Amino acid sequence: MKRNGLVLLLSGVIVLLGLVSGVTAEEGVTDTEIHIGQWGPQTGPAAAWGSVARGTDAYFKMINERGGIHGRKLIHHMFDDAYNPAKTKAGVKELQEGVGIFAWVGGVGTAPGLAVRDYLMERGVPWVGPSAGSRHWIDPPYKYLFAVYPLYEIEAKTLCRYAVANMGKKKIAIIYQNDDYGKNGLMGAKEELARSGLELVAEVPVNLTDGDLKPHVMKLKKSEAEVVLLWTTVKHALMTVGISKAMRFTPQFMSTSTCSDFPLMMHISKGAWEGVIAASFGELPDSDYPLMRTYKQEAFDQYAAKDERWGVFYSAGIVWAEPLVEAIRRCGPDLTRERLVQELEGLRDFKGISGNISYYPFDPNDPGCRQGQREVFLVQCLAGGKAKQLTDWATIE
Amino acid sequence: MIDFIQMLINGVAVGSSYALLGIAMVIIYKTSEVPNFAQGEMALISTYVAYMLLEQYQFPSYMAFPLSLVFAVVLGCVLEFTVLRRAKAPSVLGMIIITIGLEMILMGLVSWKFGAEQKSMPFPISPYDSVMFGDFFVSTLEILTLVVALCAMIVLFLFFRYSRLGMAMKATQQNPVAARIMGIRTRRILMATWGISSLVGASAGLLISPVIMQPYMMWDPMLKGFAAAVMGGMTSLPGAVFGAYLLGIIENLFGGYISIEFKSVVAFVVIVLMLCIRPSGLFARHYVKKV
Repeated sequence: MKRNGLVLLLSGVIVLLGLVSGVTAEEGVTDTEIHIGQWGPQTGPAAAWGSVARGTDAYFKMINERGGIHGRKLIHHMFDDAYNPAKTKAGVKELQEGVGIFAWVGGVGTAPGLAVRDYLMERGVPWVGPSAGSRHWIDPPYKYLFAVYPLYEIEAKTLCRYAVANMGKKKIAIIYQNDDYGKNGLMGAKEELARSGLELVAEVPVNLTDGDLKPHVMKLKKSEAEVVLLWTTVKHALMTVGISKAMRFTPQFMSTSTCSDFPLMMHISKGAWEGVIAASFGELPDSDYPLMRTYKQEAFDQYAAKDERWGVFYSAGIVWAEPLVEAIRRCGPDLTRERLVQELEGLRDFKGISGNISYYPFDPNDPGCRQGQREVFLVQCLAGGKAKQLTDWATIE
Repeated sequence: MIDFIQMLINGVAVGSSYALLGIAMVIIYKTSEVPNFAQGEMALISTYVAYMLLEQYQFPSYMAFPLSLVFAVVLGCVLEFTVLRRAKAPSVLGMIIITIGLEMILMGLVSWKFGAEQKSMPFPISPYDSVMFGDFFVSTLEILTLVVALCAMIVLFLFFRYSRLGMAMKATQQNPVAARIMGIRTRRILMATWGISSLVGASAGLLISPVIMQPYMMWDPMLKGFAAAVMGGMTSLPGAVFGAYLLGIIENLFGGYISIEFKSVVAFVVIVLMLCIRPSGLFARHYVKKV
């Protein structure tokens, strides 16, 4: 009887301890580790953006080399979703429920991100810096979702305003990916042109699987557009510019920031990308900005693979992770998701290698409370893949 | 009218690469009755071999391209010998699944070895140069593709008609047992078929690569080539070529006049319609089921 009582007591203590530890321990955080997840296309049609996740990885390794954050190392779990939303969802669920991820960072693509947004938000898992400038991240705002990438519509508005006001162009057309990514750009362009009493002269959708863009370019040519906005994957942007050149159709091409890696674009387009104007959300990789040089030396030079290139997409992986790292740092040793959200909401004009980042306390009626960066600047591709800065950081609401 | 004619020209231009892949699929189907879904990726790996020879080993293009075509022949033979021939009691469905598996393995191999990022194939002809005929344009690369496709068709026609190997291939297709009795080594014939098919496919890959070069690049052309082959009844070389050009033209006219958003599904609609209405192809007088 006495022995039974002892067993009962011990069992009770064990159950109680289990409950207590369950209450205090945060998923994905131990005394020595913080588990961060990320997806990105290492294969498939959007593989050119695969270096985003690799950039984040090198950044985390640099932080770990410096001792981590309050004694904890950042454990980076990245997987290849091939830009396929079904794979994104499967991979995120597997890691979240198998490993236990504290927070997610980056994540390339609007469609892949949309596939997991509700899943993460319902579980209260923070997600910082989706690698896509979609309005879906902030409208309506979600308590645990913090956007960094300036909205595609802001990029489209900035490009259109520059084309009309600085270049005096009136006939503007767009070729856009037939999904939310492309449609966000389309919406921004329409809104901005309407301000000047103009309309797009052609709106040409392109599907991700399209292999022949000649009919698309014919429509653009027929519209006699002076400026063509490119809101597609790298592959389709290159095909559009190349086919236009072959058709002797030579408008001013303007591109979203997703195609702003000029050395890469010049190389794979065999020089056809020269003259293209693009929006940029971060300091240029070869700029003299001190923090950029630090990342180049301490993250890229130390941890990048042999054939990796220090380009816009690679450094973008650092851009998305900077506010997350800063907020984890500000949390101190007591790291919980609620505390992380609190610290992210406290960021004001935080400056890393992107434009200034500010968040505000959660307000379900204010999408702006979760849009960290609102600034872009414009650059033009020169011979050899060099970039000429055309404007300063600017915000268009 | 100018637009219409330009669309026809564009359709013929894009149809050439479909034609090469369609021919490649038909060659294998003719002898083994297996649609080879690894066709695109066999071409992909041969194209990347050319890229490797040019970029890493600094071979001149007049050596790199022929060597990659030789590689393509060897690859086709090796795959037939080491994988397909080993299939035990193979059903058509089983063989199709094997080719789909091969397709995935080959694409994974290319991604692993060369990376998934887009590459720039050093090609003697710029894909962005064009020739103008009055108001109409054709890119020089597309003219080259057209010439290669027509040459391939003529050479293959002569090969199947007049060469001993070609006749043996036809005999193997028509009656494998009788062919064996007549002394034809049908297994070797099958291996040669894969080699030739791989060669034709690789030439398509090399001609597509100056425009777009990444591990995913052959998927769309392969499906279009398959649709073209289906239009031709899967066993007719001229049928596949005609189907390819027709498909290119239909796609362009559909994109130009009906809906550009649904242009990419036209090929699948064609496959479904053909299989429902004329499974033996456009040129067949009647449908023959082998028993």
